[in-house]
Amino acid sequence: MVEENITVTEQKERLKVQDLKVRFFTSKGIVKAIDNLSFSIREGESYGLVGESGSGKSVTATAVMDLIPDPPGRIIRGKIYIDGFNILTDLDQLAKIRIKSPTDVIIKRKKRLIKRHNYIMSGIRGDKVSMVFQEPFLSMNPVMTIGDQIKEAILLHGRVDIANSIIKRETMNAQEVSKIVDTIMAQPDTQTRNKIIVRLCGEYAIPELAKPFTDLFENSTDRDFIINEVLSLVNTKKTGLNLEKLEESKNYFLLRERILDLNLELIGAEHSGDERTAAQLEAQIKELKSTMRSQFLLYSIKRRFMRRFIDAPFEKFAEGRTLELLTQVNIAGPERVMTSYPHELSGGMLQRCMIAMAFSANPQLLIADEPTTALDVTTQAQILDLMKEVNKNYNTSILFITHDLAVIAEMCDRVGVIYGGNLVEEAPVKEIFYNAKHPYTTGLMNAIPRAERRFEKTARLESIPGSVPNLIDPPSGCRFHPRCKFKMDVCSEKKPKLVEIEKDHKVACFLYSDEVEEEPREEIP
Amino acid sequence: MELKYFIIRRALVIIPTLMGLTILTFLLLWAYGPNLVAAGFESEKYHNVAAALAAQGFNFSDPIGTYFSYLAHLFTGNWGTINQPISAKTLTAVEIFFPNTIQLAIAATIVSVIIAIPLGTYIGARPNSPADQAGRIFSLSGYALPAFWLAYVLIILFGKKVGVVPYLNIFPYDGNGSLNVSSPIFNNFHVSTPTHILLIDALIAGDIPLFESAFMHLILPVATLTYGILAGILRFIRAGMVDASNQEFVKTARAKGVPEKTVIKKHIRKNALLPTVTVLGLLVSSLLGGVVTVEYVFDYLGIGYLAVYTAEATQVWGILVLTFIFGIILMITNLIVDVIYAFLDPRIRY
Ligand SMILES: Nc1ncnc2c1ncn2[C@@H]1O[C@H](COP(=O)(O)OP(=O)(O)OP(=O)(O)O)[C@@H](O)[C@H]1O
Ligand code: SF4
Ligand SMILES: [Mg+2]
Repeated sequence: MVEENITVTEQKERLKVQDLKVRFFTSKGIVKAIDNLSFSIREGESYGLVGESGSGKSVTATAVMDLIPDPPGRIIRGKIYIDGFNILTDLDQLAKIRIKSPTDVIIKRKKRLIKRHNYIMSGIRGDKVSMVFQEPFLSMNPVMTIGDQIKEAILLHGRVDIANSIIKRETMNAQEVSKIVDTIMAQPDTQTRNKIIVRLCGEYAIPELAKPFTDLFENSTDRDFIINEVLSLVNTKKTGLNLEKLEESKNYFLLRERILDLNLELIGAEHSGDERTAAQLEAQIKELKSTMRSQFLLYSIKRRFMRRFIDAPFEKFAEGRTLELLTQVNIAGPERVMTSYPHELSGGMLQRCMIAMAFSANPQLLIADEPTTALDVTTQAQILDLMKEVNKNYNTSILFITHDLAVIAEMCDRVGVIYGGNLVEEAPVKEIFYNAKHPYTTGLMNAIPRAERRFEKTARLESIPGSVPNLIDPPSGCRFHPRCKFKMDVCSEKKPKLVEIEKDHKVACFLYSDEVEEEPREEIP
Repeated sequence: MELKYFIIRRALVIIPTLMGLTILTFLLLWAYGPNLVAAGFESEKYHNVAAALAAQGFNFSDPIGTYFSYLAHLFTGNWGTINQPISAKTLTAVEIFFPNTIQLAIAATIVSVIIAIPLGTYIGARPNSPADQAGRIFSLSGYALPAFWLAYVLIILFGKKVGVVPYLNIFPYDGNGSLNVSSPIFNNFHVSTPTHILLIDALIAGDIPLFESAFMHLILPVATLTYGILAGILRFIRAGMVDASNQEFVKTARAKGVPEKTVIKKHIRKNALLPTVTVLGLLVSSLLGGVVTVEYVFDYLGIGYLAVYTAEATQVWGILVLTFIFGIILMITNLIVDVIYAFLDPRIRY
């Protein structure tokens, strides 16, 4: 099999899933949860995934984060490119699966490789891609405060940037301030000006000053006065901490980031069979690790036993950032919320906290698995607005999962319809609503209760007869055929392929194309 | 603060329970009848039992009055005398024996917890692995094998090495009321002072050989008890770990990018240990109540050892007082467990 270079994907695709196949090995048999699923999400795009309960939406989302619970589940095939890197590059090496019978499956896991895989994934999760879960109450750790949980997320990624910000703040001088004030004052438009202020405040680790600064620029045009004011405000935020120590922390995290990057490269090299590069990279990693051990021996010991002390500037930064994030998601009384435990908050507030947490590292991709299903209608609207705002302001791509088509209409640019673990239709949102092709999609559309229909003469809410197939023993051919009004002979024999029948509109149905999806013969059915 | 009020409220609940306990033990006293009750108060000095009892304010035809006299006795420590295993005031006997049990129980608890938490974490993070199977067998054997059997096996295997055979009592005390050593920390009642806990007293007095001896004498009883406690809480921690790992918030933690080790130690374990606190509390209170067989086999002069003798010889005052003390221990450990639990789990409403 010819493998393309792992870093080459179509530009601007934040997420690309190819031929994803997920299985759950249970005592009742093998659940064929996801089959040959492919889709991609572009930069700044909001992609909706709809389907009935049990169709595999959550499994898809979890697979993208590589968080399928194992046992019982495993991704057994496919590629998931996040920011151009295929997180499943080393998939085949992680475990050997031998199937004696559907209920007797032996999985031999390679511990060392899985360890490396987890290590790499923990660098990607939360940093490049974040997730908001369906049940806010169950998804927060009940014995940790909200603040601690958000702070943890902040401090897991971008430590080098944090250290840089703090250093910038501590070394800020009059010259720098006057330069910055000039740039801001040169900006005539208040809105852009405020945006710049917020960004700069973040950059200089003084997010809490964004508000006084915007007020300041609004109320005064006296340059010297502003400069003085800014300087004195910034000076109150300087902690006079030991910059040498902070530099040490920064170098330590720089080295750690470097090792992670090299590991990513190593996996790529291993996979493409480039043994020489792989060996080189391995040697390099080893060397860096030994440098780390010798150079940062004392530091790691201190970090281990005096974490509080060593991490104090970071903690303080994280606290400011948490407050800022909570304010961004419109939580009332963010200070109080920070010290609250999950059981002390309402579902809507918790979901906002989850979103704040998901945004702590400004990820490029946000996965939202029915983020509003557990909430009441008003809160639901607020949360959706919040996500739309984030999507716009930060150009974040969103994978939005729901079974509520009204929500899809509101939120998404493009929609994929999933049935029995297969993508059956994919199109821009308008197409889905006005020009749905697949019998399952049209069925879903007719099942939406619409107020205006009540007054039509022929109004009847149709539902799709039958129910979602059992995925241990799914129907042959088109998985929808037992429920399909247009079923033909071929439908139960062969599986339709997802093909583009109009621009950007893909359907898997024999009504529109004769193309058959070849089921690859492989060990795992 | 709220927690403070919770503790106070929770402590106040002890009062009615305590009253119930006094009534129950009083019924016991009533059932034993005048003769046995009088035996604890040098009845031979009086010309009849009734006179001996009357001198203590007891009158078996007046239950109410006798109950209040009994209460007075109970709370002033005027607990009569016993003559086995030592001939002394009951209060003195308790003073001698009880601290030894505290020492044993605390040592066994600490050792168990120190072993159980990392081991339970390791096993719980790898359900059904070979390590888990080994842990399962270990726990099962801990449940199935009686403590005294293990105690004897340990004595046979290691007794000679730690130099505690044939007599394993913690004191250099020969069981007949005289001391074998003349360490200055012992007073006439064979009680080491000032804390009555030999390990600590020996250290305070700077008597290193005595400390060493006391330490050596502790090893086997502690090992025996630890085996039992470990068997219990290891399973509990393991179950808690498996249960917590399957919860949604663990997925959230991973989705944030928390490294696997931290997920286990910070997110899963903290939740897993909550139910374990309760179990541990129960185990400790049963330990403090004197693990009778273990103390008996090792000739360890703890409160369980005392209980065997008082029951065997029907020394009513010993039985009453020990029952009362066991009850109090149970209440206090329950209180402590509740408070610790409330402290650890923010969801507890106080
Ligand atoms: N841990 C598991 N073990 C076995 N089967 C599983 C497991 N998780 C999911 N599945 C199976 O995978 C299929 C898809 O489940 P999934 O949770 O993705 O549905 P969903 O589309 O998210 O539904 P809902 O709208 O109810 O959330 C189901 O048939 C389910 O039985
Ligand atoms: S392929 Fe056949 S059964 Fe499947 S949706 Fe199309 S018409 Fe219906
Ligand atoms: Mg779901």
